[in-house]
Amino acid sequence: MAGAAMAVAVTVGLAALGTFDTTPDPNGIPAGSKAFMLALVIAVVVGFAAYAAVEWIQTRRLDSIARQFDTRTIVLIPIAIAINIVLGQAVGTALKLPVYLDSIGTILVGVLAGPIAGAATGLLSNLAWTFLLAGTPFGSPYAWPFAIVAIEIGLLAGLFGYAGVFRSRPSTPWPRLATGIVVGLVVIGALVWYGVVPFYRDLCALRSTPLRLCFQFFVDGPVPVDPLFIAIGVGIAVVLVVAAVAVAVRLLRDRDLGLVFVLVAGVACGVVSAFVAAPIAALVFGGITGSGTDLLVFAFQYAGSDLQLAVLQQSLISDSIDKTASYLVVFAILGALSRRVAGRFPQGERALGTIEA
Amino acid sequence: MALLTRLPPETPTAYHRLNPLTKAVVAMSTTLAALVLGGYLAPALVFATLVVPGAIAAGVLGRVIVVSAAATLPLAVAVALVSVFTRPGSTVLFEFGPFDATLEGADFAARIVLRLFVMASALGLFGLTTAPRAFIADLERRGVSPRVAFALGAVLDTVPSMVARARGVQEAQRSRGLDTEGGLLRRAAGVVPLVGAVVLGALHEVERRSLALDARVFGSGGTRHVLWAPPDTSRERAARWLLAGALLAVVVGTATGTLPRLP
Repeated sequence: MAGAAMAVAVTVGLAALGTFDTTPDPNGIPAGSKAFMLALVIAVVVGFAAYAAVEWIQTRRLDSIARQFDTRTIVLIPIAIAINIVLGQAVGTALKLPVYLDSIGTILVGVLAGPIAGAATGLLSNLAWTFLLAGTPFGSPYAWPFAIVAIEIGLLAGLFGYAGVFRSRPSTPWPRLATGIVVGLVVIGALVWYGVVPFYRDLCALRSTPLRLCFQFFVDGPVPVDPLFIAIGVGIAVVLVVAAVAVAVRLLRDRDLGLVFVLVAGVACGVVSAFVAAPIAALVFGGITGSGTDLLVFAFQYAGSDLQLAVLQQSLISDSIDKTASYLVVFAILGALSRRVAGRFPQGERALGTIEA
Repeated sequence: MALLTRLPPETPTAYHRLNPLTKAVVAMSTTLAALVLGGYLAPALVFATLVVPGAIAAGVLGRVIVVSAAATLPLAVAVALVSVFTRPGSTVLFEFGPFDATLEGADFAARIVLRLFVMASALGLFGLTTAPRAFIADLERRGVSPRVAFALGAVLDTVPSMVARARGVQEAQRSRGLDTEGGLLRRAAGVVPLVGAVVLGALHEVERRSLALDARVFGSGGTRHVLWAPPDTSRERAARWLLAGALLAVVVGTATGTLPRLP
């Protein structure tokens, strides 16, 4: 029913928009894609409202939502918020890595308690960070504009948890594992090709030699290769390769198909988050967050992108890495958590597969 | 009775005694107005009219400036580097290696830094003059669910206790030979055993806490009586609506272009 309402909303939205406007705007982003995103967001809201309304009409209660907020969830939420804030502060500002890791708590609540609880945790997390902790060394006056991103992260994590993405699937038979890896790679590839790559094409089109394609943003005009950008690029590449090798070793040793699911979900969440976060970062902060990601904005702007596009290009890279890393951390935590503890959360049994769904 | 007298936070000045919601509305209107108006003059004006008088009245002007400068400085350095050297512009101030510093970039960076400073000072004034628990109590009296109020209040205790727990775990690991000093890679490797222990420990504690809460009928419905909530006056209520209305007018005025753009 909710799905039907959402489909209707998307159709109505598309009809209202008329044809898909593919004329690129100055940033090379088709104007139609922005309108489509807007229609999609409205459709999600409409779908959710329809879902809640149907439940209310049928049962006179909103059990599926209220159930996510039992005492355990209420106790878990402040702990999750503290995890977000402590880790986010430590990683984002102290380590100066191009990741934030400030949504691990939100993802945990989403998976264990449900999408609405996850969204609420995200919202409360950023508001508490700004308002409640304003007088303490942990406070950040710049967290509140990103509350909408945190909501989206919690919501997605809850939906992925409901779908069983975070279930550990060790000792998968080799043929199934191989199929899973191939499918996962195809899905991630499609996500990157359609969601990420288009925003870097202009960057590459500015130069002629195709060999340089991937390293385009290290190169600018008369200066052949700038050592600074090479250092950034190599640094990111090393971190990525080390992480990828570690994940691959784990995948092959435990034959855990769940890892593939988590990777795909993490990348998807990262791409979506980037599209939500980038306009906020550009409009409010001039593209700056004070963490290691600023170097990327610098690099892209230097390579000729304007602010909006540079921030989006930065977000697509750092959010994808960040959310994938966060999802992996949450997956590891859930794997180490005792079933007895996890199973008592509203969505725990379903998310971790203690009962077959 | 001793408990009741300890409930209200200390309020040395009249600004401290304002209702927390009023102070929050002031902080948010300042922030949003600085954001929407842009330029140099408008944020400076907003800062001078909405932050400075309050800070002087509360006797915290110096601390507000120090706190917001500390919050803005790292961002200011990044903004300056990123925009001064990368924004295309016709006026080149100076060259640094392959980078040209442009006047347009410097102008953009200065506007962003000013805006961020005003945002930080507004929230800094709020934080320095408002006891978080008073704000939560006030929100609860205004109809925010007691469960949400509990969760928010618990954040205040959980953050410091988690830092303490992390420190304890780190010391324990170090006494077992974990190397936490030295290069970045070594420090990063030291984070792994720390995060796992802290997060898992906290998750296991949920069990104990929720049992304790349920034993005290936390889950029961019915009205909860707040022992103490910060006082509110009709004058403050009027001031809040006035500020909200002014903010709305600024947003509409800027969006429709009827409000002149200040430099």
